[in-house]
Amino acid sequence: MAASNFANQTFDESEEEDEDFNPQPVAASDDENEGVEGDGDAGPKPSRSNSAPRVRPGNDSEDESTLKRRGISPRRRNGRPNDEADEGIDDELDGDNGDDDEGEGEDLNGGLDDDDEDEDDDEDEEAVTGRPRKRRRKGGLNQFFEEEAEVDEDDDAEDDEDDLGNDGFVADTHPDDLAALPEGTETDDRRHRELDRRREMEASMDAERQAEALRERYGRRAAAALTESVVVPKRLLLPGVDDPRIWGVKCKVGKEKEVIMSIMKRMQERQHTKQPMQILSAFERGAGPMAGYIYVEAVQNAHIENALDGIMNVYPRSKLNLVSVKEMPDLLRVTKTEELQIGAYVRVKRGLYTGDLGVVEDVESNGLSVTVRLVPRLNYGIDEDDKNPMLGVNAKGDPLAKRKRMNAVGTNVVATRPPQRLFSENEAKKRHQRYLASTGGALTGKAWNYKNETYEDGFLIKDFRIQHLITQNVNPKLDEVTKLTKGAEDGTERLDLESLAQSLKNNTAENSYQSGDHVEVYDGEQKGISGRTISVAGNIVSIRVEEGELAGQVVDVPMKGLRKRFREGDHVQVIGGSRYRDEVGMILRIKDDRVTVLTDMSMQEITVFSKDLREAGDATGDGRLGNYDIHDLIQMDPATVGCVVKVDRESMRVLDQNGSIRQMLPSQVTNKIEQRKDAIATDRNGSEIRYGDIVREAGGESKSGVIIHIHRAFVFVHNRTQPENAGVFVARCVNVTTVAAKGGRATAADAKTNMAMHSKNGDGAHAPMAPPKSVGRDRMIGKTVTVRKGPYKGVLGIVKNTTETTARIEMHSKAKVITVNKDELIVKDPITGQTIDMSRFGGPRASGSSRPNYSSGSTTTSRIPNDWSAGSRTPMGAGDGGRTPAWGASARTAAWAPHSSSSGGVDGGRTPAWKPQSGSQTAYGGAGNMTSYGGTTTGFGGSGGGGGGRTPAWSSSARTPHAGGEHGFSTSDGFDSFASGGRTPAQGATSGSRTPAWGGGGGGGSSTFSAPTPGKPYDAPTPGGARLHEDFPTPYGSTAPTPAASASTPRFAQDAPTPRGWEAGGGNAPTPTAGAARGANTEPLLNSRFEAAPTPGVGGGMTPAPYGSGGGVGGYGGGGMELMRRRLQLGWARGRGISIVMRSDDSDSGSAGVGSFVPCWAGLGGLGWACAVA
Amino acid sequence: MFFLRYLTREMTMNPALFARDMTQILKEQLYQQMEGDCNGEFYTICILDVTDISKGRVLPGTAEAMFTLSYRAIVWKPFRGETLDCMVTKVNRAGVFCEAGPLTIFVAQTNMKAGMTYNPDTTPPQFSNARGDEIIEKGTAVRTQIMGLRSDVNAIMAIGRMSDSWFGPLPD
Repeated sequence: MAASNFANQTFDESEEEDEDFNPQPVAASDDENEGVEGDGDAGPKPSRSNSAPRVRPGNDSEDESTLKRRGISPRRRNGRPNDEADEGIDDELDGDNGDDDEGEGEDLNGGLDDDDEDEDDDEDEEAVTGRPRKRRRKGGLNQFFEEEAEVDEDDDAEDDEDDLGNDGFVADTHPDDLAALPEGTETDDRRHRELDRRREMEASMDAERQAEALRERYGRRAAAALTESVVVPKRLLLPGVDDPRIWGVKCKVGKEKEVIMSIMKRMQERQHTKQPMQILSAFERGAGPMAGYIYVEAVQNAHIENALDGIMNVYPRSKLNLVSVKEMPDLLRVTKTEELQIGAYVRVKRGLYTGDLGVVEDVESNGLSVTVRLVPRLNYGIDEDDKNPMLGVNAKGDPLAKRKRMNAVGTNVVATRPPQRLFSENEAKKRHQRYLASTGGALTGKAWNYKNETYEDGFLIKDFRIQHLITQNVNPKLDEVTKLTKGAEDGTERLDLESLAQSLKNNTAENSYQSGDHVEVYDGEQKGISGRTISVAGNIVSIRVEEGELAGQVVDVPMKGLRKRFREGDHVQVIGGSRYRDEVGMILRIKDDRVTVLTDMSMQEITVFSKDLREAGDATGDGRLGNYDIHDLIQMDPATVGCVVKVDRESMRVLDQNGSIRQMLPSQVTNKIEQRKDAIATDRNGSEIRYGDIVREAGGESKSGVIIHIHRAFVFVHNRTQPENAGVFVARCVNVTTVAAKGGRATAADAKTNMAMHSKNGDGAHAPMAPPKSVGRDRMIGKTVTVRKGPYKGVLGIVKNTTETTARIEMHSKAKVITVNKDELIVKDPITGQTIDMSRFGGPRASGSSRPNYSSGSTTTSRIPNDWSAGSRTPMGAGDGGRTPAWGASARTAAWAPHSSSSGGVDGGRTPAWKPQSGSQTAYGGAGNMTSYGGTTTGFGGSGGGGGGRTPAWSSSARTPHAGGEHGFSTSDGFDSFASGGRTPAQGATSGSRTPAWGGGGGGGSSTFSAPTPGKPYDAPTPGGARLHEDFPTPYGSTAPTPAASASTPRFAQDAPTPRGWEAGGGNAPTPTAGAARGANTEPLLNSRFEAAPTPGVGGGMTPAPYGSGGGVGGYGGGGMELMRRRLQLGWARGRGISIVMRSDDSDSGSAGVGSFVPCWAGLGGLGWACAVA
Repeated sequence: MFFLRYLTREMTMNPALFARDMTQILKEQLYQQMEGDCNGEFYTICILDVTDISKGRVLPGTAEAMFTLSYRAIVWKPFRGETLDCMVTKVNRAGVFCEAGPLTIFVAQTNMKAGMTYNPDTTPPQFSNARGDEIIEKGTAVRTQIMGLRSDVNAIMAIGRMSDSWFGPLPD
């Protein structure tokens, strides 16, 4: 920076005097002559050279005097280990001022007296600057010395005066005079002293050693000097009009430093010649707004021309810009130059690698150039002209010149450059063997020299000048960083957070602070305060201090000393340049400015800088990438779907249906599959599963979670507590079992509408129950049918073959076979042409043909979904059907109760299947009944007419032999059992009125309905029944319905009509739910959520029972414990799991209140809370 | 912390349900919807009673009736800094998940007592210290302090710590 005479010699007052008399060139010659002793100017320089770049050959008298002083002081203070920049300047400036004063005084008075006065003045005014020196002298040397010093000052003054006068001619004083002067002018003492010193100096020519000696001698006073000089008021130190000027000199942009260096060199070269440089200092301000200029301090601008003449890249003959006095201090303001650190990211500004990201591998000590690691762009001579293989190879050959021209023309190089690829020696060997040499040591063996460039581990290692690099606001992108990242030995990729940190720290993104951020100042004058930001202007942040003495005040602080403050547990979002951008999470720990965050989405710990965080609102930021959000289902290719499990800034990770993870770009995604919440699948047990259900893997790790997507045969399940893949895993539907259906599923639809109305209206919202499937030859085959609708409407033909849903019909009219939906067929009597009711056929056929009938019957309100296929008996099916707890819930609606109680018939009507009106026409009646019902009925029959009556099917379908059962209807009990039983044999069991609920129902008659049996019973499909069905297709026929039934029922018979019996016999018996229900009522605690009954029924257990009773609250009896029991429920039955709580229903509220509510260990499998009602 | 709060909720009812027992239905719906529900701020544990059911207002266009139900409920709101006893439900390398009622609390390993290390070889996997006198595994009852809370629309997530001596596994 500063070019100056680095003469470390001691110096002598006498000399100073002399010097004073020899102005311009003399100063330099002084140095020369004395050699060791050096001149006054030299003194300050070392101190200044750190900070204030100045060249001071000491030509100006005024200045010289000051310099001399300065020379004294810093010299004396040489021992100070590190001269602080500011101080150096201060001293200088101060000295200037003081001297000015002096000089002026002298000018005016021109006498010695004045000098004395001045001296006094000096002492008074400059107490700070002048004094310390003297004191120092006093302390350091003997009394005698001090005398000298004072005299010295005198001399100084004189000198100044003289200088002022002499300015012009001093130049001709020969430096040799200097040597002579001491003898003539000074006292003996002085001569003695000088002699001593000279001897000493001569003894040791080595400047460094000399400096060492000086340091030794005076070093101890450094502290004192420091403290004293600090007190100087700054305004006294500022330059004035009488000081040398500073000119800005144009130079080539980017070459500033070089120019200064050459000036310094020239300075050194010339300093001992007869024509030393006359400029005082020269400095540059580096890149930035002041690029293209160097600044030279000189007394006259002619000096500048002289000094800079012939130096490359600087143009002293162009217009010199005089810097105004006011601005001079600003020029010297120290801005810390950003030092590039190893590991920082940079970008190349020009050349083949323009814009490419690189990592600093090494920094040269001169700070001018760095070694950068880049991803090479090589084509290994592939595009080389065969005739001219040297193209681009020989740096000095023509080809390159050509290329250069291309360069000059435009950005061709960038446009046509090869892509970034790691260096491959194999590729290089193919065509460029001769340019390739292995340079790697024995250790690595991975370093190559190729075309005079070094490649290590596939990366290009290249030296760049710093000005050819972008070092600020590099903003490395993830993919670039990844390319540049060295793989670890084991092949895994390791991202170097450190290096990322380096470059990110250089980013002073202005938007990184927003008003309201909680910040603290960790550096600078305001260190330690914390508060909230109010506004941000440029790099200055206004903070309202919240703690400490300054609380409430607004303080402006520079951004660089600021960091955001968080507390552990804060919910934050990552912003800024981090690769975790947009992640949201909670802070786990904080260390300095590194914050570890647990992300919400993936439950992973990430570490980022606090500046890259900001408080996140409770509403989680959208972790979106384009249209794709985490947990979205996307179509990856025609055959594959996947669930997004992580969204990065530019890519996303997708868990595909096969369970593998893929990294994808949004552009690769075919499309997003909208959430289908109504998608239904069946699980391993045939139960229905749908969105939101909790399922568990049947095998493997038995992971469980909530279904977030069902796609064909796959379910995507989410489990928060599982860290990998954001908690998502994929399974086949058939490999999961349902744990809990989404709470209140059935109610979702049913609770909204009045069930009573429903059933009456038969609005068809619910599809009719499908009959059980039968196997074997379809009885449709061979039947004469007509087509009911469609293009073939009215066509008569014979069924030749069938599938489950379609039939192939050979038309009567012409020899053609058509395929028609079975639904669309009407079976005709081949002879009479009369329509035959297909429902009688039962079996699958029945289901098809009977449907139309249903609709006609207008009672198709079955709750059971259409797709009740074979699997429908499973709990799931049940779940959907009213039997599930939910169902139970809906059953609670009073509407039911009254209805059921009012008349059995009506009740029957509600269940679509039963449809009293439509009677047996309903496929349900037919199909469904046949099996289980048949069984039951017979059993019932055995037991009593009433029993028989219970099977709704029978009752409804008058045609069934059991029509007799109709009277059975009258008994509501029967009805219940039927209802339940009707669907599955097991049901019957469940329905057993033993469950409290049932009991209640039984009593109320109406309640039966409510007695939904949770799914479990469905598990027990009576295969037998089905088969029976098959075997005895005729039940419909009404001719022999009973035998079937009876046949099926050995058990039944024995079990007898009572559901209980059935239970016993069936073995399926007690439906867990029932148990649960019971438990819920009586011993709630035993049924903590952890023990929850296996069926979704937990809920069911709880609900149907209490509510089922219709209005029969009273039935439950009094308050107190009983009340509590009654009210205790397994809450959060929706699978959230939870606690046991109770409520005092307002109907009983008289006796209930909240006493204590105690979280407690529920003593069974898990924690729960129980609350007790006082 | 548990609170007894008076709350209101607007509910709509399908005209199909307009009948004598509307209020009962409304209540049932309320119970069903609200009990166990979390609004991001607190969990409604239990509705004690319904203090008022406003007159229904038929909404134009839909024919549904809207009622405003005032009710009194016990709610539970977890607070930062609150100490809770809970049960460990899941243990993995990063830490443990505990459940305090409806609330899942994650305690990272770094927020456990010093010396607790993950030991994947035991069954079930556990965190334990060198002496082996403190074991955290699935099912362990622990005392933890809530460090931070995050609210979703219908859930609350929490992270906790057990780093002080009075936290961690509870004696049987």
